[in-house]
Amino acid sequence: MRFDVRYRTVFAYDAPVSESQNELRACPTTNDHQRLLDYRVTVQPNARVFSSIDAWGTRVDAFGIRRPHETMTVVAEAAVETRPNPMPAAVLRTESLRREDFVDAHIEYLQRDRHTDPGEHVTRVAREQVALVGPDVVGAVLSIHRYVGSSLRYVPGVTDVGVSVDDVFAGGEGVCQDYAHLAVAMCRSVGIPARYVSGYLFTDHDAVGAPAEADSVVVQTHAWFEAAIPGWGWLGLDPTNGQAAGEYHVKIGHGRSYDDVQPLRGVYLGPGASIVSPEVEIRRVQPADLWRGASQVPSAPVGSVPADLPLGVRRHGGGHPSGSSIRQQQLQQQQSGPSGSGR
Amino acid sequence: MPGWFEGYELEGWFDEAVTADGGLRDHYRSVADALDELDLEALARAERRRDAAFRTQGITFTVYGDDDGTPAAGGIERTFPMDLIPRVIPADEWSFLESGLVQRVTALNRFLDDLYVGGMQIVKDGVVPRWLLISSDGFTPEAFGVPVPLGARCLVAGIDVVRDEHGSYRVLEDNLRCPSGISYVVENRAALTRVLPQLFASERVQPVDQYGSMLLHALQRVGPPAAGDSPTVVVLTPGIHNSAYFEHVFLASQMGVELVEGRDLVVEDHVVHMRTTQGLRRVDVIYRRIDDDYLDPVVFRPDSALGVPGLMAAARAGNVTIANAVGNGVADDKAVYAYVPEMIRYYLGEEPILGNVPTYLLWDPEQRELVLDRLDQLVVKPVAEAGGYGLVIGPHATDAELAEVRQQIQDDPRNYIAQELVALSRHPCLVEDHLEGRHVDFRPFVLSGQQVEVVPGGLTRVALRRGSLVVNSSQGGGSKDTWVLAPDPAVEQDLDAESEPTVVVTSGVRTPGLDADGPDPAEVADAVLGSTS
Repeated sequence: MRFDVRYRTVFAYDAPVSESQNELRACPTTNDHQRLLDYRVTVQPNARVFSSIDAWGTRVDAFGIRRPHETMTVVAEAAVETRPNPMPAAVLRTESLRREDFVDAHIEYLQRDRHTDPGEHVTRVAREQVALVGPDVVGAVLSIHRYVGSSLRYVPGVTDVGVSVDDVFAGGEGVCQDYAHLAVAMCRSVGIPARYVSGYLFTDHDAVGAPAEADSVVVQTHAWFEAAIPGWGWLGLDPTNGQAAGEYHVKIGHGRSYDDVQPLRGVYLGPGASIVSPEVEIRRVQPADLWRGASQVPSAPVGSVPADLPLGVRRHGGGHPSGSSIRQQQLQQQQSGPSGSGR
Repeated sequence: MPGWFEGYELEGWFDEAVTADGGLRDHYRSVADALDELDLEALARAERRRDAAFRTQGITFTVYGDDDGTPAAGGIERTFPMDLIPRVIPADEWSFLESGLVQRVTALNRFLDDLYVGGMQIVKDGVVPRWLLISSDGFTPEAFGVPVPLGARCLVAGIDVVRDEHGSYRVLEDNLRCPSGISYVVENRAALTRVLPQLFASERVQPVDQYGSMLLHALQRVGPPAAGDSPTVVVLTPGIHNSAYFEHVFLASQMGVELVEGRDLVVEDHVVHMRTTQGLRRVDVIYRRIDDDYLDPVVFRPDSALGVPGLMAAARAGNVTIANAVGNGVADDKAVYAYVPEMIRYYLGEEPILGNVPTYLLWDPEQRELVLDRLDQLVVKPVAEAGGYGLVIGPHATDAELAEVRQQIQDDPRNYIAQELVALSRHPCLVEDHLEGRHVDFRPFVLSGQQVEVVPGGLTRVALRRGSLVVNSSQGGGSKDTWVLAPDPAVEQDLDAESEPTVVVTSGVRTPGLDADGPDPAEVADAVLGSTS
């Protein structure tokens, strides 16, 4: 499948901003299932973009603007080709998860962070789900995947980026990143390495449910997860849409959680607040291919990352951050020194 | 005139100045002779002048409310008391220490470069397990691919060294993030020279006041290629409320460079500039005394008010060098520390000159069993903490504490290590009207630039308070001027490279191991506790 993806975010500040520094992670990756053909980033006002690959293999475009501006527009355009992802056929017993070399190679995807720390409740539920299917890794992952899909209702705006997995689970509502974090946390809690994936999804409905026109939909960035299957590789699943990640999924990158692949993060200096409106336009380049073959165009709700907010915002004036917090931060610096102030 | 060393008690400990049979070590003879020319009144006068000098200069540190080093509200500013009797390290002993420190820091630089820009060859070759590094709190994915010229990642390293009951030097801890204390080294020397110049009369003591120029030189060598021969260097401080602020001011002034806070720096097109009265001026090398987490709110803590937005991208682009490098904390991890001797063998093909304190890794079932059987004799430390925080001293702990730490080890063995107790050496100190032995440790400072070099001196910390064996400054600890003697040109130096690595090669007579009448192990434990901050 060939797609043209156009990611666009506009920041509108209610007063001029003197400086803004940002990192964009919007570039589709190249792997066994997809190939990046073309990529371009444009920033208004003009800024020099420095591109690099981060520790997780994701392209990062860094840019800063150091003159007063009231709006900032970031556009990332990509041409990408995708292929269907295979499913593992063999039954893999869960004992293989405990092999020393497997754990060693996947340790970062077995640990917890603020987004993927399962509470007691989530851990218990994960164990129950896995127990139902017996000692089969793929079965366990699929069971968690289905469970997450059925226990959350897709409701935009009910959760913040910082919300805990336990709270999401208890609330029963969330957006795609909540689905992904919950699935990741459940997998890890039973010893299955899992990672958070950021990307784009082509669906036959746009963000407000209107049918797609001319092979083009306007959506937002999406999130799903991948679980490591011993001896096979990473299995991508999209619990928000109840399906495996397939040729309609365009992957940007992966990480331990959202923080590692946040599409746009940055800070700006200025007194004002900002309104952010990110959107993604995906155009199918070879429409004839769309209706061939077994794969179905997803029709479930388009999961979306609710915006690239909250950005870390630093302002001069306006009491942010307060003098006491600066003092506190100054005190906290680790100076492994003779004065006993080291951590 | 009194003989200051008459009646001096060893009490079974290894002493820096006095041999087991009570004789003065050769390298202390001239200090002892000079002291014997002085009476108590002269020394008391020297102490008063010393206190006045430190107070006038504002050389203070902040005492926090808790023993664990947690910043508490309303810290108290105090001077860091310097005992008048200097510690003396003879030339051949120093040469041994120096080569061990250079070797160790060279390997640590190689390791960190391998980890962050070298593809982790050490993991591929099976020397250090991957999971151990990745699971370390100090492991910093954001540092991946950020180049450091010359691979000088530990530009300033503070290596904490202790001496055991046999007089063997051992590394207790590597401080590779923002080690502090060098200002005391220089100021102690200046103060002692001022108040007791006669002590220096007949010894060839290597100077330490060139530290500023050594540091500047090292920093200039790691400038980005585009900066040319004389890169612009700044010292980045968190600000006046930081406990080490005095040292930040001191270092900037010693180097003759600007002291800046985050808000003084701006990033434009991935190049760092400082605001000056004449406009922006490019900055090439930042000697930062801010933690990684606060350096750049775009990449690390978004609420950091101390950092510079865009700094990491500038470093990644190779337009500025951050020293010490980002991500060094992984090598401070106490479980990773246990692998430093292996790193030395792996990267340098050499046997370690300085040994570690014997350390047990608790995820290994065999070592864990061994430790759990001897928990009441060992020291248990959380891997990510410094400053003695979270430490449990077996002989000192209650049954309840031992049970708790046993449970913690079983729940999360990666997070703890266990070490043998080290019976820290002692050194004579002036206590009221006589000399008494007090426990000491030692922090030499190692600089990496064009080459790795050691400042000929260091910070000797001492448990000054009677009965207390804790060297923490916040708990009655103090410091000593530390002399490194220049080699005697008349004597051929012969440091045998094949000599046993962890044993001091020189004049010291080795004392036998502690016997049943030796010191209470609990007291030893206190010394270990105190030595780690």
